Amino acid sequence: MSRTTTVFEPPALGRPQTLAALRRLRQFADLFVTLSIHRIRVRYKQSRLGLLWAVIQPLAIMLVFTLMFTVLRTAPSGNVPFPLFAYAALIPWTTFSSGLTNASTALTSHAALLTKVYFPREILPLTYIVAALVDMAISSMVLALLMLWYGVPLAATAIWIVPAIALLIGLLVGLGLLCSALQVHYRDVGLAMPVLVQIWLFATPVLYPLTAVKKALPPSLYALYVLNPMVGIVDTFRRGLVLHESPDGPALVVSAVVVAVIVPAAYIYFKYVELTIADAV
Amino acid sequence: MSGRPIDLTLDGVWKQYRLHTRRHAETFWALKDVNLDVPRGASLGVIGRNGAGKSTLLKLLAGITAPTRGRIVIQGTIAALIEVGSGFHPELTGRENVFLSGAILGMRRREIAAKFDRIVQFAGVETFIDTPVKWYSSGMYVRLGFAVAAHMDPDVLLVDEVLAVGDAEFQAKCLQRIQELKQQGTTNLFISHDLTAVERLCDSAVLLEAGAIVASGSSAEVVASYHRRLSLWDPATGQTTIDSPRSGVALTNLAVRNPDEPQAVAFRTGTSVTLSLRYAVARPLSNVEFELRYYSADGRTCIAAPRTGEHGDALDLKPPGGVIDFFCEALPLKSGSYSIGALVRDLTTSRILAWWDGETRLYVQSGPATDAQFYLPHTWRVEHDETGVASVPVADSARHRGQPT
Repeated sequence: MSRTTTVFEPPALGRPQTLAALRRLRQFADLFVTLSIHRIRVRYKQSRLGLLWAVIQPLAIMLVFTLMFTVLRTAPSGNVPFPLFAYAALIPWTTFSSGLTNASTALTSHAALLTKVYFPREILPLTYIVAALVDMAISSMVLALLMLWYGVPLAATAIWIVPAIALLIGLLVGLGLLCSALQVHYRDVGLAMPVLVQIWLFATPVLYPLTAVKKALPPSLYALYVLNPMVGIVDTFRRGLVLHESPDGPALVVSAVVVAVIVPAAYIYFKYVELTIADAV
Repeated sequence: MSGRPIDLTLDGVWKQYRLHTRRHAETFWALKDVNLDVPRGASLGVIGRNGAGKSTLLKLLAGITAPTRGRIVIQGTIAALIEVGSGFHPELTGRENVFLSGAILGMRRREIAAKFDRIVQFAGVETFIDTPVKWYSSGMYVRLGFAVAAHMDPDVLLVDEVLAVGDAEFQAKCLQRIQELKQQGTTNLFISHDLTAVERLCDSAVLLEAGAIVASGSSAEVVASYHRRLSLWDPATGQTTIDSPRSGVALTNLAVRNPDEPQAVAFRTGTSVTLSLRYAVARPLSNVEFELRYYSADGRTCIAAPRTGEHGDALDLKPPGGVIDFFCEALPLKSGSYSIGALVRDLTTSRILAWWDGETRLYVQSGPATDAQFYLPHTWRVEHDETGVASVPVADSARHRGQPT
């Protein structure tokens, strides 16, 4: 009979056991699924409006800005109706903001559990990301209704939302792991998150088009602007679905590079912090 | 029993915690150089007072936190038998929570489904299984949480204070389940305050004190050692007073002999006994006293504690050390086995400077004198009344010691 050998040693960043960690994560696949379902179920069990909440957030922001731009008569959406223009970008955006905000406090809000039982800790932030993605699926149905209402059909460019969603998930996983691990020792992270997300929204082409930024900013500042990985993701999503355009190549490549760097780095850091999480939460 | 594989190895394990006080961060070592080997199928008890490092050890073994130094190697799957009600969500039903907490413990969904009926029956909450657990009584909540953990089948089982859970009937069920797992060949590590349970369930035990293993051996021996040490604990400081390296004095041996029969290993009630306590001193010490402690064999009862300072005598000690002999003219103990400890106390501060644990055994056989609880030396005399009616007055032992008149 062969038995698995488990070794516990002092934390060391120089000795990442990422493969062993991933193997362990696979053993807990059932927990990941159960906890994700639980996350979604509990959220809507406690509220009257239930699943509608997934739609209310992007819808509310969209309505507020539609109202504002209607009053100002300066909707920056070109020949696409502004509600559709804004809502298409708000879907990936609200998924990102709620996923990141919830994931970053995932460890500290489960202190009692973390000091009692071991399971791969990354499951906690990851389940919040799954919940955010389920919300995304629900709010996408409203986008479909809006497209029908405004008579905007789906084009072949819609295929570009596949890499955009993949990058969105990657970015959420990387930042979610990083922020939740940082939050264990620096509670400031959780407190800073709402402000950060607010600023981030305006630094991302959600309520205005990327082309306008390209025109307005000098090339050096624009290059800096595009370093924000959400630029490529949000812009690709909207272009593919409602503008029927191919993505902005450089912006999408930047997003891909950021994700490729941040996911492994965040996971190694997370597994390093994980070893002493129970002492700090 | 040799040749059994070692399921659990602790190799020089240290664990440091940071205490964040208002001004600065202090650190303390919760575990200091702990070494353990637990062979497959063995049951090891870990005992010690609150704060001795038991829970830290459990957390390290369960993988909840990592050691600061050293290495822990575990062969096979490990699971902690703990109450997992903390993983419950109040809005979910008992059924949903069983699946949730089972998954948290690392059980597969299929496995939980197969064991579901047994878990519910074990917890005794059949009628309420589809009710949200927020309506449960605290007893039901805890029992269900524990029942889930009790139905894992690990290679190595960590048990933490089972007997603090639920009522007597539920505790009996838990013990039964532990026995069952033990019979299946599970390696057990039993962390508990409940010394009776440790003695009953464990073959061997270790005693933790201030993060270090201070005694190990058969569970009965270690439990006895625990009892003896308990009396040395200073509740005011929360520290044990056994600190010989710093105090500069150490007790190195305690020998018991019969001055009339130097070869004897057992002693008889009523015969004389000499106890020789050897000590080593690093620097001159003044105003100290020695004390002997006679314990029952299990260490639970301190029977007698003669001191050199009984009448206010203070001793001064000089390096390198020496021997102090205690003489007992007539051993008052009835037949049986006893353990003897000794200590040196600073009379100025009442601090215990060094401690000789009751590793010295004293075996007593019935003497010619008594079969009662203990031997009380008496002298006696007879006075004949003039009228011819006999009476037996109490002997005046101070004047006629050992001399029947």
